[in-house]
Amino acid sequence: MNTKPTSFLVFVNGAIENAEVNDFDDLYLRFSYVIGKDWKICSGLEEGTTQIAHKSVQLGSKIVFNFPLEATFRATNPFGWPQLVISGYGLDAFGNDVVRGYGTTYIPISPGRHRIRIPLFVPRSSSRFQQFLAWFFGRRPEFVDPKVIAFNAGREMTRVRSHGYVQVVFNVVTKDLEELGYKIETKHSSQTSQQRSEKNETTYVDNYHA
Amino acid sequence: MSEVHVIGQILGASGFPESSVFCKWKVQMGSAWRVLQGDHEGQTQIDEPSDEPIANWCHPIDLHFATKGLQGWPKFHLQVWHQDVYGRNELYSYGFCHVPTSPGLHEIDCVTWRPKGSLIEELKTQFIGGSAQLKNPDLVSSSAELYKLRTVSMGKVHLRLHVIVRNFDKYGVEF
Repeated sequence: MNTKPTSFLVFVNGAIENAEVNDFDDLYLRFSYVIGKDWKICSGLEEGTTQIAHKSVQLGSKIVFNFPLEATFRATNPFGWPQLVISGYGLDAFGNDVVRGYGTTYIPISPGRHRIRIPLFVPRSSSRFQQFLAWFFGRRPEFVDPKVIAFNAGREMTRVRSHGYVQVVFNVVTKDLEELGYKIETKHSSQTSQQRSEKNETTYVDNYHA
Repeated sequence: MSEVHVIGQILGASGFPESSVFCKWKVQMGSAWRVLQGDHEGQTQIDEPSDEPIANWCHPIDLHFATKGLQGWPKFHLQVWHQDVYGRNELYSYGFCHVPTSPGLHEIDCVTWRPKGSLIEELKTQFIGGSAQLKNPDLVSSSAELYKLRTVSMGKVHLRLHVIVRNFDKYGVEF
């Protein structure tokens, strides 16, 4: 006789596909997962760095990474669901390694293939003079710990400037979530979550133009 | 005891007259509900977008509720504020939206409004800044009292929420 499972598993495969940015031509990303205290990473890299990628000479091209992401999580509670935190860095005109942007998204909950467009944002300097100094010396404002963007607290007075997006594809499989009594989809949906998030390539930008 | 998880983000906002906006959010619910884990209120970062007129907050929402009944299903009270070049904060608009009642992923556009003052007050808002505010912000979702107000439409707040429910079927609740 099978004993009831006490934890569930979430398998995530996917890739950081590309970044769309206007202001600069090269970028590398550091990624990490932020999880709650009821969660554990069973396998896969919990943090890593991509290659340094450049745009091609075509006008309007994106910075392509095609960087694999694979992880397995075990948990007893959906609270603290994993978030992917991305920080992008690149070389500025003076050859300094500066921060280009931070972004975060939740690993999708419904099983299936999801393409998500994560906006990138970078902290702003406190004043114009500080901004000039930051540009000149190559010491731009950055977060001490990029994982802070995955939390609710302490964000109140962070002033940021958003520019560009990173596109990530996730394939998600869950095990034993339903055994533990969790219902993550409604049986009456006319459109599955997967279809809805496949259409989410342009996220909510369409709402503005409509 | 049934449980509801709400996991997602307050993505951002669009359609506001100026950029450099942030959002104060709060969860309001009936007496049968309790927040077991997660912060029930917070404030997003202040974003000034450089390319498109959409503020990006990507603010994480992770809430775990326990409940004894369906009444008083939780809802978000949102206040969009604007920070001008001098660093002053003024209220832009109010809005509310219910946490969706069906499990699954939901993309939500919450429309918002602000109270309209008299002609003098509107001129003041235009030239000096600052705006009329509600004495009791909880009025936003009370259907009985809103008839007294005159309001002006403002932009939308975008949320992406995934709702997970547990233990409702043994009480006969169908989703």
